Amino acid sequence: MNHLPRLCRAPLVGRPVLLAITRRLSSKVPPEPTWEEVDETKLPKPTKIDKDTIDHLERLALVDFANKEGISRLEAAIRFADQMFLVDTTGVEPMDSVLEDRELYLRADTVTEGNCKDEILRNAGKVVEDYFVAPPGNIPLPKKEEYDR
Amino acid sequence: MASSAHKFCVERILLSCRRSLRTCSRSYAKAKTKKDHTSPLPGGWQGRVGLEIHAQISSNSKLFSGSQVQFSAPPNTLVSPLDASLPGTLPVLNRRCVEAGVLTALALNCHINRRSLFDRKHYFYADLPAGYQITQQRLPLAVNGHMTFDVYDESRSQRQVLKSCQVRIKQLQLEQDSGKSLHDQENGEVLVDLNRAGVALMEIVTEPDMVDGAEAAAMVKELQLILQALGTCDGNMSEGSMRVDANISVSRSNEELGTRAEVKNINSAKFVQKAIEYEMQRQIRVLEGAGEVEEETRYFDWKAGKTISLRDKEQRHDYRYMPEPNLPPLIVYTDATSPRGMQDSVVNIDRIREQMPELPDTTRRRLVEKYGIQFQHSVALVGEGLVEYFETLIDVKGKGRDPRSAASWVLTDLLEQLHKRSLTFQECSVTASKLGEIVDLVGMGTISKSTGKKSVVLYKAHMLQLTCPTKYIFCWIFSQILGLLFDGDNRSLSQIIEENEWAQIRDEETLGRICDDILEKHTELVEAYRKGNVKVVNRLMGEVQKATNRCAEPTVTSRVLKLKLEEH
Amino acid sequence: MLGLTLKETARVLNEGSVTAAELCAACVARARQVQQLNVFITETYDMAGQQAAESTLRHRQGSRLHVLDGIPVTIKDAFSTAGIRTTCSSRILRDYVPPYNATMVQRLVDRGAVLLGKTNMDEFAMGSGSVDSIFGPVRNPWKYNFQTRHQEQDSQPIRDSCHDLKPKSMQMRTMHHHVTSTEDSDWFITGGSSGGSAVAVAAGICKAALGSDTGGSVRNPASYCGVVGLKPTYGLLSRHGLIPLVNSLDVPGIFTRCVDDAVIMLGALAGHDPKDSTTVSDPFQPFSLPEHIDITRLHVGIPKEYHAPHLSEETLSTWKRAADMLEDAGARVSQVSLPHTPYSIVCYSVLCAAEVASNMARYDGLEFGHRGSDHSSTEALYAQTRHEGFNDVVRGRILAGNYFLLKRHYDHYFTQAQRIRRLIANDFRKVFEGGVDILLTPTTLSPARSYRWFVQADNRTRTEQEDVFTQPVNLAGIPAVNVPVSLSEDGLPIGLQLIGQSFQEKTLLTAAKWLEQQVNFPHLQLPDPSEMS
Repeated sequence: MNHLPRLCRAPLVGRPVLLAITRRLSSKVPPEPTWEEVDETKLPKPTKIDKDTIDHLERLALVDFANKEGISRLEAAIRFADQMFLVDTTGVEPMDSVLEDRELYLRADTVTEGNCKDEILRNAGKVVEDYFVAPPGNIPLPKKEEYDR
Repeated sequence: MASSAHKFCVERILLSCRRSLRTCSRSYAKAKTKKDHTSPLPGGWQGRVGLEIHAQISSNSKLFSGSQVQFSAPPNTLVSPLDASLPGTLPVLNRRCVEAGVLTALALNCHINRRSLFDRKHYFYADLPAGYQITQQRLPLAVNGHMTFDVYDESRSQRQVLKSCQVRIKQLQLEQDSGKSLHDQENGEVLVDLNRAGVALMEIVTEPDMVDGAEAAAMVKELQLILQALGTCDGNMSEGSMRVDANISVSRSNEELGTRAEVKNINSAKFVQKAIEYEMQRQIRVLEGAGEVEEETRYFDWKAGKTISLRDKEQRHDYRYMPEPNLPPLIVYTDATSPRGMQDSVVNIDRIREQMPELPDTTRRRLVEKYGIQFQHSVALVGEGLVEYFETLIDVKGKGRDPRSAASWVLTDLLEQLHKRSLTFQECSVTASKLGEIVDLVGMGTISKSTGKKSVVLYKAHMLQLTCPTKYIFCWIFSQILGLLFDGDNRSLSQIIEENEWAQIRDEETLGRICDDILEKHTELVEAYRKGNVKVVNRLMGEVQKATNRCAEPTVTSRVLKLKLEEH
Repeated sequence: MLGLTLKETARVLNEGSVTAAELCAACVARARQVQQLNVFITETYDMAGQQAAESTLRHRQGSRLHVLDGIPVTIKDAFSTAGIRTTCSSRILRDYVPPYNATMVQRLVDRGAVLLGKTNMDEFAMGSGSVDSIFGPVRNPWKYNFQTRHQEQDSQPIRDSCHDLKPKSMQMRTMHHHVTSTEDSDWFITGGSSGGSAVAVAAGICKAALGSDTGGSVRNPASYCGVVGLKPTYGLLSRHGLIPLVNSLDVPGIFTRCVDDAVIMLGALAGHDPKDSTTVSDPFQPFSLPEHIDITRLHVGIPKEYHAPHLSEETLSTWKRAADMLEDAGARVSQVSLPHTPYSIVCYSVLCAAEVASNMARYDGLEFGHRGSDHSSTEALYAQTRHEGFNDVVRGRILAGNYFLLKRHYDHYFTQAQRIRRLIANDFRKVFEGGVDILLTPTTLSPARSYRWFVQADNRTRTEQEDVFTQPVNLAGIPAVNVPVSLSEDGLPIGLQLIGQSFQEKTLLTAAKWLEQQVNFPHLQLPDPSEMS
């Protein structure tokens, strides 16, 4: 299949167009790329992730990715993010969302949902007597002998 | 029977004596001590306490979902897909919760932010299904308020005011409650119930302006009363609808604050004081032993009365706050800014302020001014939630019973019966009007008569039209009847009195005076008797019965009457 | 029948020359015919047949619900469908069955649409190739050699190759480990992340499809698959029930064969939803577009920064010709500048990672989804569940997002990204305030690339490259649409993007329709299913 771009003729459907008069001098599309990719040398020093940081992050993220692969991905993501500092943002307000000038919709205080225990529990991997089940937390409640004196 | 009843009567009299001394119309000046506000701890240590109070908003449905809010329900029956954090669900804010937050903030003299924002606070926990809580960290609903409260001396039964305090309210914000975890020790599992997940909370954060446990406890109690008066939270700490975390530190100087520890799991105002006192002592011991207080979270073990370190290795928890992207800014309006045609669907601060109910402080003063009761009674009535009961009992529009006695009946006898039966006021089966009936029947009005140096209370019995210091008998009868009613006796009051023969006056001295009275009024009958007309005795008896409304015991009365007749 | 547009199909259904049941059967046959493309994660043909039968009855009784009544549609597997598995192409949701319908789904169902199935995508919409799915990649029907494949392979494509996951110490987590070899990789990618939905429309399986667009996930595959892909204004369509990637950027998107069809779908789907607080409460008026369009009133902007590095020659020349065509037809065409364009992708990547870290925190295995077996502690269970359930792309973004959100980094990274976001939104605003009605840009750097080429770099690199023209639009929350314009020398579609102002979908789509009318794009023609052996 060898289709050529078919924009040669623009079928003008029933409208007289002053082609001659509006003849353009040149296309508005720039012929060359107008910017280049970021020059690495302009960026601050690459961040190296130390063991404490990755352990800390792992505890916060719980994805079991504190290995070499995870660290290198993270460092690459940070390096990429460092490009942001080539932009001058003095005096610019951060933008949370495009709805920042809108206001929050409020609903009436009526009971409209709930009371669907079976539906709620249906997707749970383990259920005991209508409760969800978790292992004990990492900080068990202390036993009697462990009081501070 | 007579002797044991008599003995019992005497005991009751003594008890009532003590009580009536208390409820005497001696007025106690409000004792404002000149105690220094900054140094209640020994050894020159200054304590500082700030509180974070989580108050569950009384609303029909949750903060961001339409699930019902109810204290006790079968597990996971009050849970919607959003509460269970099923993927794709989105929060929608409940207007009533915003109104409750605004009303509470106004009562706490806060500045309401016209525009406030929601954020996510991230941490992993079994009862937090989304892995984050929606709260207001950057720009909360209200800031910069203050609250005044009195600290009472509870050591003596009279509620003497020790000092008046003010605490600054740093902010008030709306946030979600988490679910509940139950620890199944046997199976080494945690069972999670999400009924409470997503219920609306107001978090009220104070500055560390309090200096000890007593101040903090008093603040908490006053806040409970305020929230109950507003109807925004029932303030029930034992059920968990209000929870208090305390941030406690000690230091040598008043300017610099020491390292603070946070104490959680305090579920009554009494424990607020205990936990803080323990923790301050603990910190002092550590510092005096040349140690350092760790900035950590501790857990109050109420059975042992101690705070325990949670030994969380990750002491500095990074919550990674992030703006909640699913909730645009919350805007509240005033009359001036309210958009036309939308009055019903927006939250208007001015309208809410207009609907502000009477706050406890105002109530306490009003009761004193309006009814002339003593200040500490007013404090007790407000503190125990008995104001409406009291005002119904006084029945201003109807019979109009004496407020001061009414206060006394409510605060002593009624509360005593409740306490004896371990009932809460909510469970009280005797209504104010029923109590009023007893009051009327047994009869209490008071006349205060000063005779020289001492005020003597003279009680006039409406029914018996006697002036005698046998009010104690009536106290006894009163509490007997009340006890029977609490026990479920549903005879009419007159039946009770009659069947117990309490209305019968047997006391010879009393009867003697009644007879004297009658004889003086009916001298012609006395004359007749002297002349030998014995039938007159019957007539005189009739008069005595009329005067005592048939309460004079016949045998004794007859004897006394005859004696008196001899005398006259 | 399979080559008709939605509009045309509705007409024939209404006339009665074809019944909804017949149409549904034909679509199902087409779906089976092109099964190797791996469009569906979950097929719902039985339910569709039932819905089609009911629609046929309604048509017969003259009580059709809406122009969409009886129209077969497909839904990206990121939208919750009550009682029908919804996976986001992830192991962590592989068996998850939602108890509720997304609002977008509900609105289609309420109007009688016939649901054929849930379509394949990149895991949790992270990716621009629709290759990172536990159910295997989606294949572009353009230039696809059905004949050879049909002989060599099963009719069942590779499914769920993670079911026999070894303990992690023994496991080799290569980049695209679900594909056992790259020998069979001469086919072309569909783009992503809504690849399945794009193909469903391109291959004639359905008349319209739902996708989601966070950084280009609708426009990108639309461009590669030669269909119309509309990303409406943020806040116009409800996200209730759409499993989010980035809540502040996600928008449900629409795939159709032509612009008029997209307008019909928009009319059915747009408008305030009380269940989604980010939908605007302004009332939405459905509209239709005229047949004769006066382009002379239009002011078109050509943002010069969209001639980015690595833009292919063919795409460039297509862009040029379209701009010239507009100008020749009497529209006012000016070159404009959106100076912060080069930094847009960086800003996007930081905001995206942060939200991902947050949105994925709910996947702990307790209430729903995959659940690990390590019960020694909550932390251990969560970590194992998430390790097993998420692919490397997702886990990597979670880690990065948490890094950016750390208290000590928040102002440095996250807030900076938010500032750049405002600069980008302002760039667009200034240009529109200057009198420009719409912008014309390329949608992607080039036509679709081969799978073999695509997998040589990792997901993040590819996304950075592929999304360069599309994600600034999401940051600004404005609407944009891909219009298929021509075919490359190799016979692959080239699309162009039109970008409009917030809530000005009518202007945007009018211009898009005009362009579509001029170019007469040669839609994909597949043989009738009954002709296949």
